[in-house]
Amino acid sequence: MKLFGKLANILGIKKKEVKVLILGLNNSGKSTLVNHLKSEEDKVQTIIPTVGLNIEKFKYHNVQFTAFDMSGHGKYRDLWEHYYRECEGIIFVIDSSDTLRIAVVRDELDTLLQHPDIVTRKIPILFFANKMDLRDSLSTFKIVSILGLERIDDKPWHICASNALTGDGLQEGSEWITQAICELLK
Amino acid sequence: MAFKRDKKEEEEGTGNPFQNLDKTAVLQEARTFNDTPVNPKKCTHILTKILYLINQGEQLGTQEATDAFFAMTKLFQSKDVILRRMVYLGIKELSNIAEDVIIVTSSLTKDMTGKEDLYRAAAIRALCSITDTTMIQAIERYMKQAIVDRNAAVSSAAVVSIFHMTKHSPDLVKRWVNEVQEALNSENVMVQYHALGLLYHIRKSDQLAVTKLVAKLTKMNMKSPYAVCMLIRIVCKLIEDQNSASAGDTSPPWSSSPLFEFLESCLRHKSETVVYEAAHAIVNLRRTSARELAPAVSVLQLFCSSPKPVLRFAAVRTLNKVAISHPSAVIACNLDLENMISDSNRSIATLAITTLLKTGSESSVDRLMKQIATFVSEISDEFKIVVVEAIRSLCLKFPRKHAVLMNFLSAMLRDEGGLEYKASIADTIITIIEENPEAKETGLAHLCEFIEDCEHTSLAVRILHLLGKEGPRAKQPSKYIRFIYNRVILENATVRAAAVTAMAQFGALCPQLLDNVQVLLARCQMDSDDEVRDRATYYHSILASQNKQLVQEYIIEPLTVSIPSLERALHTYNVHPSPTPFDMSSIPLATVVTSDVTEMADRLSGRTPNSIGTGTIETSPAVTRVESYYEKLSAALPEIASLPGALFKSSTPVMLTESETEYVVRCIKHSFPNHLILQLESDQYIERSAAGKCYRSIRDPRRLRATQGDPHSKVGLQ
Ligand SMILES: Nc1nc2c(ncn2[C@@H]2O[C@H](COP(=O)(O)OP(=O)(O)O)[C@@H](O)[C@H]2O)c(=O)[nH]1
Ligand SMILES: [Mg+2]
Repeated sequence: MKLFGKLANILGIKKKEVKVLILGLNNSGKSTLVNHLKSEEDKVQTIIPTVGLNIEKFKYHNVQFTAFDMSGHGKYRDLWEHYYRECEGIIFVIDSSDTLRIAVVRDELDTLLQHPDIVTRKIPILFFANKMDLRDSLSTFKIVSILGLERIDDKPWHICASNALTGDGLQEGSEWITQAICELLK
Repeated sequence: MAFKRDKKEEEEGTGNPFQNLDKTAVLQEARTFNDTPVNPKKCTHILTKILYLINQGEQLGTQEATDAFFAMTKLFQSKDVILRRMVYLGIKELSNIAEDVIIVTSSLTKDMTGKEDLYRAAAIRALCSITDTTMIQAIERYMKQAIVDRNAAVSSAAVVSIFHMTKHSPDLVKRWVNEVQEALNSENVMVQYHALGLLYHIRKSDQLAVTKLVAKLTKMNMKSPYAVCMLIRIVCKLIEDQNSASAGDTSPPWSSSPLFEFLESCLRHKSETVVYEAAHAIVNLRRTSARELAPAVSVLQLFCSSPKPVLRFAAVRTLNKVAISHPSAVIACNLDLENMISDSNRSIATLAITTLLKTGSESSVDRLMKQIATFVSEISDEFKIVVVEAIRSLCLKFPRKHAVLMNFLSAMLRDEGGLEYKASIADTIITIIEENPEAKETGLAHLCEFIEDCEHTSLAVRILHLLGKEGPRAKQPSKYIRFIYNRVILENATVRAAAVTAMAQFGALCPQLLDNVQVLLARCQMDSDDEVRDRATYYHSILASQNKQLVQEYIIEPLTVSIPSLERALHTYNVHPSPTPFDMSSIPLATVVTSDVTEMADRLSGRTPNSIGTGTIETSPAVTRVESYYEKLSAALPEIASLPGALFKSSTPVMLTESETEYVVRCIKHSFPNHLILQLESDQYIERSAAGKCYRSIRDPRRLRATQGDPHSKVGLQ
C-alpha cells in the first residue's frame, strides 16, 4: 500500500501512460502474460501464435500501459527494432523450461543491448523466467548466470519467476517495472 | 466555364488544400505517428495527405514506404475509429511498396474477429492486401469464419478480398470453396452476389463446372437481383459458347433449351433490374430470330412509357442498338418512340429519334430531321455523334435524301463542337461523297465552307487532301482554289503545307488553271515555314517542267513506298556513298492499311459494340514499329547492318511462349533477298542455358549462329 501511494504521487504530476515492449522468443509466453494483465472484459479465451505484433492496453494501479507484444518467431525478430526508440520499458520473457534455446535467448539479448536505440539509454528491463511451473525449468539464479545479466550495469533490471497461466509472479514484476519507469520519468 | 470556376475558387480560397503537398515534408510529418499519446485528429490528417500523394501518382521508395508503414503500425494504440479506418487504407496503399508488411497480421486478425463491427470488414480487406501465398496459413482459419459471418459486410469483404487475392494466387481459393458455397445461400443481396461472382470466377475456365453451377442456380430462385443479373450474363455466355460449338448441327433449336427458358422467365422477375438485364441479354444474343426477340422487345416497350427516366433511357438505348440488327422487331415500338421525342430528357429524345431514323421510311426523314433540329444544340457532343451516325446510315439507305441530310450536317458543322464530333461529321460527308456522286459537289462546297473556320488542324489537313483529290475532277475546279489559297494566307504551317499540296493537284490536272496555280505557288515560296517553302518549290519546278511523266509520278500519284524504309535507305546511301545512283525500286512498298475500311464497314453494319461510343480515328503504326525493331537490331549488331541487299519485309512479332509463362519470347522475321533474320526477344531474364536450348530447337543448326550471347539483349541468328 505504501508503494502504491508513492507511485500515485509520482505519476499524479507526470504522465500516466507508458509504452513497454514485450520481447522474447516465440512460445515463451509473452501473449499469455499480457493477456493475464488485461482487464477481465478485454481478456481472450485462447492465445494463438502472434504474427507481427499486437498492441494491447492494460492498467496497473492507475498507470496506463501500452504493451507492444511482439512476435518472437525467428523471422520476425528483426522487426523488433522498429519499436525500440519510443518504448519506455522492456519486458523480456524467457521460457525457463526451454533449455535448448537458452543460447538463442542470450544472442537475442546481446543484439538488443547493443542496438543504437538501446545501448545508451537507461531503460528498465524486466526479465520474466516464465513457465516456472514446469518440472525442468531453470531457476532465476541459473538464468542470470547463463544470460550474464550481471554485466548490465547501466540499466535498471530485475528478474522474477512467473507462471503466465496462473499469474504467479506477475504482480511482483509489474510492481517493479512501474516503479522503475516512474523513477526515470521523474 | 472551367476557367470561370477556377477563378471563383481562387477568390474564395476554397481550392484544393492538398495542392502543394511536398512528399518529403509529409513523410517527415509522419514521424508524429511515433508520439505518445497518439493525437488521432492530427494523425488522421497526415494519413490523408499520404494517401492523397500516393493517389496522385507520387512514387515512394521502398525505404520511405517502409518507414511510413512502421510508423503507422503504432497508430493501432489509438482506439479512435476514424483513425483506425484510415490506417487500414494506409496499409492497403503501402502494402505493395513497403517491406515486412506482415507485421500487422495479428493486429488485423484481432480487429477482424473483435467486437467493433466498424473495424471488421475493413480489417479483412487490409489483411488480404498484406497476405501473400506464403502467409496464407496465418489467416486461413479467420477467413473461413469471415466468409460465413452473420454480418453481411464482413462476409462480403471476405469474399471480395479472396477474389482479389486469386489474381496473384489462383489456387488459393480452393481451401475456402465450401464456405463460399455456403455464402451463396446468404439472405443478403450483396453477399449472394459476391459469392456467385467468386464461384464463377473459380470455375469459368471449366465449362462443365459452369454448366453444373448454372443448372443448379437457375432452379434455386436466388434472392439477390444482382446475383440473378450475374447469372443471366453467365447463362448468355454459355448459350453463345454452346451455339458456336454446335453451329450447323441439327439438334433441337437452342431457344427451347432450359437456358433460354431461364432468360425468358427473368423477363417476368419482380425486380426491374433483372427484367432489363434479361431483355438486354436476349436482344444481344447472336442467333436470335423474331420469335425469341418479341417478348424482350415488348418488355423494353413497356419501359419506354415508365415514369422513371432511367428505365426509359435504358430501354431506348437498347432499342437503338437492336434497330440496326433487327429493324423490323423495333417497328412495334414506333409509337412509343414517337412519344419519347418530346421527352424532357434530351438524351432519351435523341436516342428515340435516331432509333426511328433507323427503322423509319423515307417519307418520315424530313419530319424527324426537323424535330432533331429543334434540340440538337442542347445535347452533348456524345449524343450529337449518335445523331451524325444515324444520318450517315440514312444517307446510304436513302440516297435521294442526301440534300436534306447534307444541309443538316453542314449546319451542325457550323455549330460549336469538339474535334471528335466535327471529325464524325466530316467523315460522314466524305462517306456520302464517295458513295453518291450526285452529292459530291454539295459535299465539297460544305467542306470548303467549313475549313474557312476550322480550329482543328488535323481535320483541316484531311479536308484539304480530299479537295486536292476530288476538286480537279469537279465540274468547276476553279472555285475551290480560292478556299484553298485562303488557307495559305490564314492558317498555321501544317495547314499551309497541306494547302500547297492540294493546289499543286489542280495545277497538275487542270491545264486551264496551271498558270494561276503557278503564280500562287511562287508566292508560297516566300513562306516563313521551311516545309511550306520546300513543297511550293518542289511542285512549282515540276509543274514548270511541263513533263507529263514527272507530273504524273511525283504529283498526281502519291509515293507508294514505305516512308521509314525510304528514309533508312537514303540515310545508308548518304553514309556509304556509292558510284551508282540511288535505286528507288529497292524500297519496299507501303502496306495498304485496311483497318479503317473494315472499321467503317463494321460501323455501318452496326457491329460496333456501343453505338454511343466515340468514333476512334485509327492510324496504323504497325509497319513503322516492326521496321524500327530492325533498325534497333542493326544498330546494336553491325554484322546485321552490313548484310547485302535491302530489307524486304519484317513480320509482326509472333509469340513463341504461352501468355502466362514466366518468360516471354517473341520472334520477328526480317526477310532479305538472300537472308532471313530471326530476331528473338525476351522480356525476362533467361539463363544462358535456356537461351542456348532455344537455338538448338531451330531446325538446321548449321546455318544458325548466335551473334550475341547476352541473354538480355536481342539474340541475332543468321
Ligand atoms: N506451463 C506453462 N505454459 C505457459 C506459460 N506461459 C505460456 N504458456 C504456454 O506457452 C504457449 C505459448 O504462449 P504464447 O503466449 O503464445 O507465447 P508467445 O509466443 O511468447 O506470445 C501457450 O501454449 C501457453 O499456454 C506458463 O507460465 N506455464
Ligand atoms: Mg505471442
